[in-house]
Amino acid sequence: MSAITLRSVVKRYGSVEVVHGIDLDVEEGEFVVLLGPSGCGKTTTLRMVAGLEDVSDGELSIAGRRVNEVAPKDRGVAMVFQNYALYPHMSVRQNMEFALRPLGLDAAEVDRRIQEAAGILGLGELLARKPAQLSGGQRQRVAMGRAMVRTPDVFLFDEPLSNLDAKLRTQVRLEIGKLHNRLGTTVLYVTHDQVEAMTLADKIVVMQNGHIEQVGTPEQVYAHPNNMFVASFIGSPSMNMIPARHEGGRLRAEGLDLAVPSRFEGKLPEGQDVVIGIRPTGLQRAEPGAADAVVARVEVTEFLGNEALLDIRVGDHELIAEIPAAGRPAPGDEVSLTFDPSVIHLFDPQTGATLSR
Amino acid sequence: MNKPSMQQAILVYALLGIALIVFLTPIYLIASSSVKPSPIMFQRPPAMLFEPTFEHYRDLFTMRPFGKFIMNSLMVALGSTAFSVFFGSIAAYAISRIKHKRMNDIAFWILSMRMFPPIAVVVPYYIIFKTAGLLDTPLALIIVYSTANIPLTVWLMKGFFDEVPRALEEAAAVDGHGLISIFWRVTLPLAAPGLAVSAVFCFIFSWNEFLFALMLTGSEAQTATVAVMSFWSSDAVQWGRIMAGSFVILIPGVVFVLTCQRWLVRGLTMGSVK
Amino acid sequence: MIFLLPAMLVLFLTTIYPMLYAGYLSFRSYDLAKPFVPRVFVGWSNYQQVLTSGDFLNALSITFQLMVITLSIQLVVGVGLALLVTQRLPGMGIARTLLLIPMMISPVIVGLVWLFLYFPELGYLNYFLSFVGLDPIPWITSPNWALWAIAIADIWQWTPFIMMGTAAALTSLSPEPYEAARIDGNTRWQVFRHVTLPQLKPVLVSLVFLRAIDAFKIYDIIFVLTKGGPGDSTEVLSLYIYRQSFTFWQMGVGAAASFVSLIIIVVLITLFFKSLNRDQTA
Repeated sequence: MSAITLRSVVKRYGSVEVVHGIDLDVEEGEFVVLLGPSGCGKTTTLRMVAGLEDVSDGELSIAGRRVNEVAPKDRGVAMVFQNYALYPHMSVRQNMEFALRPLGLDAAEVDRRIQEAAGILGLGELLARKPAQLSGGQRQRVAMGRAMVRTPDVFLFDEPLSNLDAKLRTQVRLEIGKLHNRLGTTVLYVTHDQVEAMTLADKIVVMQNGHIEQVGTPEQVYAHPNNMFVASFIGSPSMNMIPARHEGGRLRAEGLDLAVPSRFEGKLPEGQDVVIGIRPTGLQRAEPGAADAVVARVEVTEFLGNEALLDIRVGDHELIAEIPAAGRPAPGDEVSLTFDPSVIHLFDPQTGATLSR
Repeated sequence: MNKPSMQQAILVYALLGIALIVFLTPIYLIASSSVKPSPIMFQRPPAMLFEPTFEHYRDLFTMRPFGKFIMNSLMVALGSTAFSVFFGSIAAYAISRIKHKRMNDIAFWILSMRMFPPIAVVVPYYIIFKTAGLLDTPLALIIVYSTANIPLTVWLMKGFFDEVPRALEEAAAVDGHGLISIFWRVTLPLAAPGLAVSAVFCFIFSWNEFLFALMLTGSEAQTATVAVMSFWSSDAVQWGRIMAGSFVILIPGVVFVLTCQRWLVRGLTMGSVK
Repeated sequence: MIFLLPAMLVLFLTTIYPMLYAGYLSFRSYDLAKPFVPRVFVGWSNYQQVLTSGDFLNALSITFQLMVITLSIQLVVGVGLALLVTQRLPGMGIARTLLLIPMMISPVIVGLVWLFLYFPELGYLNYFLSFVGLDPIPWITSPNWALWAIAIADIWQWTPFIMMGTAAALTSLSPEPYEAARIDGNTRWQVFRHVTLPQLKPVLVSLVFLRAIDAFKIYDIIFVLTKGGPGDSTEVLSLYIYRQSFTFWQMGVGAAASFVSLIIIVVLITLFFKSLNRDQTA
């Protein structure tokens, strides 16, 4: 039985539809991340699961029970908000007590749960403080503690790291991962940050314009994107996209002439227009005499430490290559590059869908 | 804005000094005349140093039941404040939270209720209360003052409720709290300064009011403002007593200004300037 | 919605009902001095009487005169004081607070203390004026001066209101345009005229409307100082309504006059809300 099930779920505001009939299954204990650019409907979807937005159409179930008409308080969920939503007039302890109050537990149990959460999250020293006296990272932990003490069936996270600075974000991200491993509770997590999604998720749901574009493990969405949107949204820097044409077993574009990778052989009709997708790491310096080497002019180099990014021009296409920093070329140099055929993606330029399967 | 130069600073202080003299002299006059013995009240040049006397205050409370009028004022002001803050704040919560295009119209309608000139409704009130047998009772004034105080509270509290983040209420809703519990334990405590400001404004408006009190009360429910005016109509003007009564009446307002002037702007402009 | 209903109901009963009742009265002949004469329907005759009587038009004219005098002086002095108290100098906070005191004083008390100052023979104001070589002014006994006497008391009480609102707006202005204007080498007056004033305009418009609406309510100060006299030289609308209703006991005529002034107020309030909405959308 799935922990959360969405069947053709639609959200409309007046006549404007913002979520267009999505289907999704979140399994018991799974960490599922809704990923997409702002305005893609991911937060709206999360808020429908929480019960903060009505479901306009379709069916939403939690633990096998239809909850479309169930009030948030009766759904057995707990939520961590983007701005943490800590009650500023209550201490850390009171914040957690307030979340427990509707459960009607006895005082000893309330105290036990608060102590347990405080122990796990390292909040012991902070219980008497007000939110205003806490740092951003501490507030974040209190928000998680407040969700934890309720021992919900499902944790909902709404961009919980977006208000933290970069260093803290990495640290709290790790803590969230550890917490999930420890508690094993189902998590539905919204973010626009693909690094968070890749590192935390068992399953990533990539959304755009109120549609689900792809559901899969981080490896699947990275290595086998369903379409050009997923391919370019996941991974940084973005995948290079080059319009090309299939002519006699070759992929041809301005300044480019590659053999069709073996897995596509026989799948491409002659004269088919395609878009070649290749990640910057798929472009490497060519060994002398390598087949299908492409000559490119380096416009900018960006030194990252171990690697360097090259902004290069091939014909009239601007591409990015990520190569070892040692011995990198200088701007203005001409370099010879090869496309790793095992990581070449081909897409249909009309539909954007992958041609890989 | 840059820091003013020496000459500019002197000019600023000089002009402000004049302004302070102009704006504070009448208040000083009330205070000093209330303790000035009658024979030297109008002495020229004005007596600056004199033995203060409390005879006017003594007369105020012994020759007239001024204590009773003060109690009437207090009762009316507190009654109207409690009534207005209760109904006004729950209405403000609804207006702040319900997103509907008609809400603005309702809010403006409520606000406009405060702006109508009281004289326009004093006649109907007089007749209605006369018919209902409520003339010369504190209840009549509590009702009338609330018509001005509820709109004020609605507008002030709407501003304060708007500033309470929706996410806090949503968090409480997900945590299993119902509407009443959320309002009572999350929203209202966070809007508490608004409650205090609204209450103080309602109190001072009611305390200071004169026109309705004059029209709708007689000897029983008379308030302090009407009573102090009545010292005027007797044969000889009792300036000492008038000033003593005036001083008592202006205390709440002055205390309010001195303690919480930062809320004044919001209250007096109905939230249109923050 | 459950939250909204009680207050709506209370407001409806306490304001709409009296207003409807006033509307009803305005079409009746209702003489309180003759309680047993039936209150007959008289059509528009009360309105006719009000709109054609010189007294009403005089009251309307005096109300507007007083409004124009007090508002213009309050605006200039209030903005000036606001510019002073927002200077970055020590003691400005205290000065600002002290200047706010008059606003919170009961208008009756304001009337009484100014009566004390204006009082013929005894009042201190003429005594103070003699120091600057001015002859005694018959403040409240001359039709030529009485309106000014009232205006001064109102200006004294409400100039701080303009100052307070303007000062609040001034302190919330962004400093960047000033720094830019200074670098561009503008004079202080140019900066005030072209940078400060345009930014203050929405607030000033709101403040002026609030004062203008209040100008129709002025009653207590006049009641104390002149009771509308000498003659009818200070009889504003509220005093006129009062006199019709409670001196002549012509409740119907008073109600009709009330309704006419309500219409003027409604126009002002509508303009005020329009100006508020424009600020919000701008």
